[in-house]
Amino acid sequence: MEHVWDFSALLNNKQLLLIGLRNTLVLAAVCLGLGLFFGMLVGAARYSKNPLLYWPSTVFVEVFRNTPVLVQIMWFFFAFPIISPFDIDAFSAATLGLTLNTTAFSSEIYRAGIRSIERGQWEAGKALGMSYGEQLRRVILPQAVRRMLPAFMNRAVELLKMTSLASVIAYPELMYQAKIISTIEFNPIEMYTSVALMFFAIVFPLALLVQRFELKHKAR
Amino acid sequence: MEEVLRIEDLHKSFADLAVLKGIDLAVNRGETIVILGASGSGKSTLLRCVNFMEIPSSGRIVMNGQAVGRAVGGKQTYSEKELTRLRARVGMVFQHFNLFPHMTARENVMEGPRTVLKLDPAECARRADTYLDKVGLGWKADAHPSELSGGQQQRIAIARALAMEPEVMLFDEATSALDPELVGEVLGTMKELADEGMTMLIVTHELGFAYTVADRVLFLSEGRILEQGTPAEVLTYPKQVGTKNFLRGHGSFRLPEPQLD
Repeated sequence: MEHVWDFSALLNNKQLLLIGLRNTLVLAAVCLGLGLFFGMLVGAARYSKNPLLYWPSTVFVEVFRNTPVLVQIMWFFFAFPIISPFDIDAFSAATLGLTLNTTAFSSEIYRAGIRSIERGQWEAGKALGMSYGEQLRRVILPQAVRRMLPAFMNRAVELLKMTSLASVIAYPELMYQAKIISTIEFNPIEMYTSVALMFFAIVFPLALLVQRFELKHKAR
Repeated sequence: MEEVLRIEDLHKSFADLAVLKGIDLAVNRGETIVILGASGSGKSTLLRCVNFMEIPSSGRIVMNGQAVGRAVGGKQTYSEKELTRLRARVGMVFQHFNLFPHMTARENVMEGPRTVLKLDPAECARRADTYLDKVGLGWKADAHPSELSGGQQQRIAIARALAMEPEVMLFDEATSALDPELVGEVLGTMKELADEGMTMLIVTHELGFAYTVADRVLFLSEGRILEQGTPAEVLTYPKQVGTKNFLRGHGSFRLPEPQLD
């Protein structure tokens, strides 16, 4: 079949696509920020000797690491409102699913990053008379963060791509807008091609940055 | 003579394993004490109890006449704050140096005065220069640990401990991880400190160093002090069987005096 490529419908719906792009970026940024913050807390809880902190955090991480994000998003949008007194909009459901997933993965990054620092570093700080907080802040984290950064940037890349899952609950991010436009304009080929290119244009530079970072780290 | 540190009936167990079984030791200001013993005899644990890297199971550590911790029901209890403050007064040098790799040599030396003592930047800088020069590495101030040899790293680690201007210095097998040709420079630095009157507790396997530098040598065996005295008393005329066996093992392959001229 001969297809005549026609991108004019794209320009006619520029406004819709820009809204989609903005929503995609907002969703990814919010979930990344929240996920990194809560990931730190969960990571710390998994370090704890207190079973009341250790076990719930461990169960949380395993559940959210080992179930599909799509299922989590659907669950929060369709199942959660039935068993809870709250109503939930598409943005909140998507944010919950993606944030909890990012939290689970980033808590492991924090944990592995801090664990990768030799015990002698803690001891050297301690022997100088540093408090636990000073050891962490002055000695451990500056070294650990450097090791964690590529992994965090990888999370950002994954998260950006996962935002498209929010389209299934009608959150108007890029993917959902594309679906809408393509059903109105009958141009799925141009539409989904453009969306793929738009994602690529955002994600690829990030991925390159990660690669450069990893190379630099290796050279050290 | 003025007593700086006293260890009273120190016991330390890890789970079921009793490592120290009652150590008593008084250390005078300016004294250099070398602690010898087979591996597993408790040397390192003894050292690590002095600055509470390990918390003693029982017994007391007395610094400048003041017992660390409070006696509650016949047992010493310690507040983290008190221990932190005590550690700042005791310098420790580790087998594996443990320099901070993200800091230059100079920043390593300044870190204690800056973060722990909270001294003003001018004083931190002065101390960094003073102690880097003292270990002969002023010219490496801007190097990162990864750019230094093992011997240089250990000397920076010594400078880092000295910058706290501690009352006692602890050396935990400070030369055991070094290539043989680098051992001398570190021992030389330690000898200089001893000559200048620093109070030092040294765990080492370098018997020649112990003989030359120590004011007193302790021989530890199974968590107790088996024998102690001047280097000549312990190393040349040992009385205990344990000490004799240890020295026999160390002396089994001996070099005739090398002619180096």
